[in-house]
Amino acid sequence: MPALLVGTRKGLFVLSSDEDRRDWEVSDPLLTGWEVFHAVPDPRDGSVYAATNSFVYGATVHRSEDRGETWTRAEELGLPEETGLTLEKTWHVRPGREGEAGRLWLGGAPGVLFRSDDSGRTWKTVQSLVGHESREKWNPGAGGMCCHSIQLDPDDPNRMYVAISAAGTFRTEDGGESWEPANSGVAADFFPDNPFPEVGQCVHKLLVHPSRPERLWQQNHCGVYRSDDHGRNWERLEGNGLPSGFGFPIMLDPSDPDTAFVIPEEGAENRVTPDGRLGVYRTKDGGQSWELLEGGLPKPAWVAVLRESSSFDDGGAYFGTQSGSVFASADGGDSWVEAATQLPPILSVEAADWR
Amino acid sequence: MLAAEVGGQRRFDVDADTVGSALRSLPVANLVFDERGQLRQLVNVYVDGTDVREHEGMDTRLSGSEEIRLVAAIAGGYST
Repeated sequence: MPALLVGTRKGLFVLSSDEDRRDWEVSDPLLTGWEVFHAVPDPRDGSVYAATNSFVYGATVHRSEDRGETWTRAEELGLPEETGLTLEKTWHVRPGREGEAGRLWLGGAPGVLFRSDDSGRTWKTVQSLVGHESREKWNPGAGGMCCHSIQLDPDDPNRMYVAISAAGTFRTEDGGESWEPANSGVAADFFPDNPFPEVGQCVHKLLVHPSRPERLWQQNHCGVYRSDDHGRNWERLEGNGLPSGFGFPIMLDPSDPDTAFVIPEEGAENRVTPDGRLGVYRTKDGGQSWELLEGGLPKPAWVAVLRESSSFDDGGAYFGTQSGSVFASADGGDSWVEAATQLPPILSVEAADWR
Repeated sequence: MLAAEVGGQRRFDVDADTVGSALRSLPVANLVFDERGQLRQLVNVYVDGTDVREHEGMDTRLSGSEEIRLVAAIAGGYST
């Protein structure tokens, strides 16, 4: 049964539907009081993990084995004193691969990655990233220096990617022992003297295509990009149908590596959907052209969709707004239904399959 | 929020010499203290109605019969 885990400024909501994805049931809030930056199902055992933050009680991770009825919390999570850093926020949880029992990855601020090998009870800092030689060139974006994207190569168990704002994309090919910047061709227009540095790019969201793992997509502060060589080189894709290169979320079609969806905003200084409408832009040719999709979407509208607030599965695409609405499409983006409204500001959306 | 983390329990009886050791024995200790062991800024601690900042903070001695209360600060102006 299709479901969505919707993290908000004030708790987690579960939206449930049937295969048509037109009618959605909204749960009562879970994890009340917590800001849920991201919640994700673990397909290996059916548990749910949430990156949770509180302005009083700090940053942590919660786990539920009963679909949100009860939760346990990480027992050990923090940065070693010798790093000189303290954990500011938890941002993104990524379950490990099938066969890696108990392994999870966690991204947080300030630009940090953790690994758990005991189903989220304890978390170890990935030293190779916290101590990366380029760290002094990293800078926080408006949301802090967040490690918000963690992508595992579906074929190579030693290859994975992280993206940090504003440090850029990094690739490991040795299971996290070392990290190489993967930002060639990605602009950092906010450095006018050196707009193509090795690191410092402001990635907003990074995705690996699940059926063509050498193909990566990113929505960046400075454009939309595609790579066809594991992030070694990137091609900038806007200027051919997109009203703006600035935006946060990006969605893919698991069955078609040439299809992607973005939701542009006017720009960095006015972070709201352009032209007084909420529009999703779709490419079906690898980003060479984009078309506006607005069937079922509100107009006029001046909204924003955050970097974690979109998702997709085999049967649909989904996103949530800071205004508390969730939209779902089951026809490749041609039409959308409002699956929920009047939720707290939405921080994250993740598709789940409640079997 | 703290009670929800421990199945709704709102009171704990603990044996401790100081306020700090009493709080560190709680199952919510890693929410009340940060990763450096410091009491979080927006958590207020009262011993028999008096803010521990007026005593010795976490080193405040206990005789065994005190009531300690944990209260989230008002935090007006925070963007929540």
